Amino acid sequence: MAKKTYDLLFKLLLIGDSGVGKTCVLFRFSDDAFNTTFISTIGIDFKIKTVELQGKKIKLQIWDTAGQERFHTITTSYYRGAMGIMLVYDITNAKSFENISKWLRNIDEHANEDVERMLLGNKCDMEDKRVVAKAKGEQIAREHGIRFFETSAKANINIEKAFLTLAEDILRKTPVKEPNSENVDISSGGGVTGWKSKCC
Amino acid sequence: MSSLHKSRIAEFQDVLGEPEIVLEKLRELCFSGIPFDGGLRCLCWKILLNYLPVEKVLWSTLLKKQRELYSQFLKEMIIQPGIAKANLGVSREDVTLEDHPLNPNPDSRWNTYFKDNEVLLQIDKDVRRLYPDMAFFQRPTDYPCLLILDPQNEFETLRKRVEQTTLKSQTVARNRSGVTNVSSPLKTSAPNSLSEYEVLPNGCEAHWEVVERILFIYAKLNPGIAYVQGMNEIVGPLYYTFATDPNSDWKEHAEADTFFCFTNLMAEIRDNFIKSLDDSQCGITYKMEKVYSTLKEKDVELYLKLQEQNIKPQFFAFRWLTLLLSQEFLLPDVIRIWDSLFADDNRFEFLLLVCCAMLILIRDQLLEGDFTLNMRMLQDYPISDVLLILKKAKELQDSK
Repeated sequence: MAKKTYDLLFKLLLIGDSGVGKTCVLFRFSDDAFNTTFISTIGIDFKIKTVELQGKKIKLQIWDTAGQERFHTITTSYYRGAMGIMLVYDITNAKSFENISKWLRNIDEHANEDVERMLLGNKCDMEDKRVVAKAKGEQIAREHGIRFFETSAKANINIEKAFLTLAEDILRKTPVKEPNSENVDISSGGGVTGWKSKCC
Repeated sequence: MSSLHKSRIAEFQDVLGEPEIVLEKLRELCFSGIPFDGGLRCLCWKILLNYLPVEKVLWSTLLKKQRELYSQFLKEMIIQPGIAKANLGVSREDVTLEDHPLNPNPDSRWNTYFKDNEVLLQIDKDVRRLYPDMAFFQRPTDYPCLLILDPQNEFETLRKRVEQTTLKSQTVARNRSGVTNVSSPLKTSAPNSLSEYEVLPNGCEAHWEVVERILFIYAKLNPGIAYVQGMNEIVGPLYYTFATDPNSDWKEHAEADTFFCFTNLMAEIRDNFIKSLDDSQCGITYKMEKVYSTLKEKDVELYLKLQEQNIKPQFFAFRWLTLLLSQEFLLPDVIRIWDSLFADDNRFEFLLLVCCAMLILIRDQLLEGDFTLNMRMLQDYPISDVLLILKKAKELQDSK
């Protein structure tokens, strides 16, 4: 088994309509860069970033999904292991906002009950093309009791904050363990309680 | 040109020179890679994809017929609805009684129009980001569609339709919050909502716009599957190959020829794109499992390692298989792989072996790596020498 260089592993998932900027949000966070010309994500993609919170090294394993309906059978199989889900819409695309309730239902159906959810209204640098008011995002987030940020992967607004907040929220729920116990090689078949899964 | 290369070209010319091409011979040659010279690749792909029959005498009639058929499709599915739309816009009051934009009747022309727009917008998003690191798809084609580009045209082109649909969604959103009243969808001075992408001036068309049209026609003709993300990555290499044919009399018809070759290719691989077939014998899940079961036969140690790390084939093989590896390598290398894939008469069995070869070639790293390292390697495959991969796949095939 590879040497451990982190204390905790959090599995996160990015979902939302096609073209809202999920891949760009992730790329900004993982590589601190922006690229307008991403090819469409097919199936599922994956990035790792290690952050430090409250003196703990936390490895974030972030899965980036394809937005189109066709891929849902592939992507919903990832919901179960996720400890945090970021649901992204595009503030310049009304449809992507209307679909939020559909995505939330998907989470209810497929994810763990205690999964941390977060709503992101991306592309907030494009104020002149905005069609979804910030208040509407706030409202739906309040109704569902989840956190909300408006973000811009392009202008680097709130991206890091969103990921760190989500990680903090998960950390808060994570039972404190003896430092030793995390090094125990837990036999395979787990994965439901993501953070102690033996992969990585 | 090396003498080896010359003699290879001569071999192709011999096989293609026969009045009735012997498919077995052609396949065998193509399997080891098709030369670009003289448009050989374009011609061979058209034969391997069953667009051109082996009897060469039939070619000219068939091509004429198919190309006419394609322009008929354009007329029926883009131009006529465009004209109808323009007329509806002009004389709206007259048609409101029978049909209007809020008509919920499934037979409503407006209803179809809006549904088509959803498909079109999805295609539009994806074709604009086709091979973003290459200039080709952003460049103007030498053969824009004259039927559509005529500046005298009053009808709504796909380009206008995309612009207006984007505009319309803004109007609707404002309505919902009760601020504005219904405004005409034909409002002028559309904000440049797609400003991050360049649109060529009127009279010019970028190659991606041609690809967009091909996919839109395909979606209209195949409503059961319509458009699924990833189809753009299948049509891309085909169109690129045909649109760079050194023979201009072929190149001129790249759009129509690509459409039919794409349709034929999709007939063989479309099950991968259909969600309801995922868990059936012909669906993608079965094929992904086949990659692992083949790997188990060929390299059980590596298979067990991936199993143990809980690296499922969905994590990488889904993309490898559905896109015929087109996102894993640079375009010229993808094209070289496709020579071999198309030449395989037991088509797409060989693809499974290529996937296995890709795994086995990095076995040492995979056996060493942890989950994260291995996932990274599989999502961003480290070997770019596709000849090495194809050689390994052939070895696996022969060792059966």
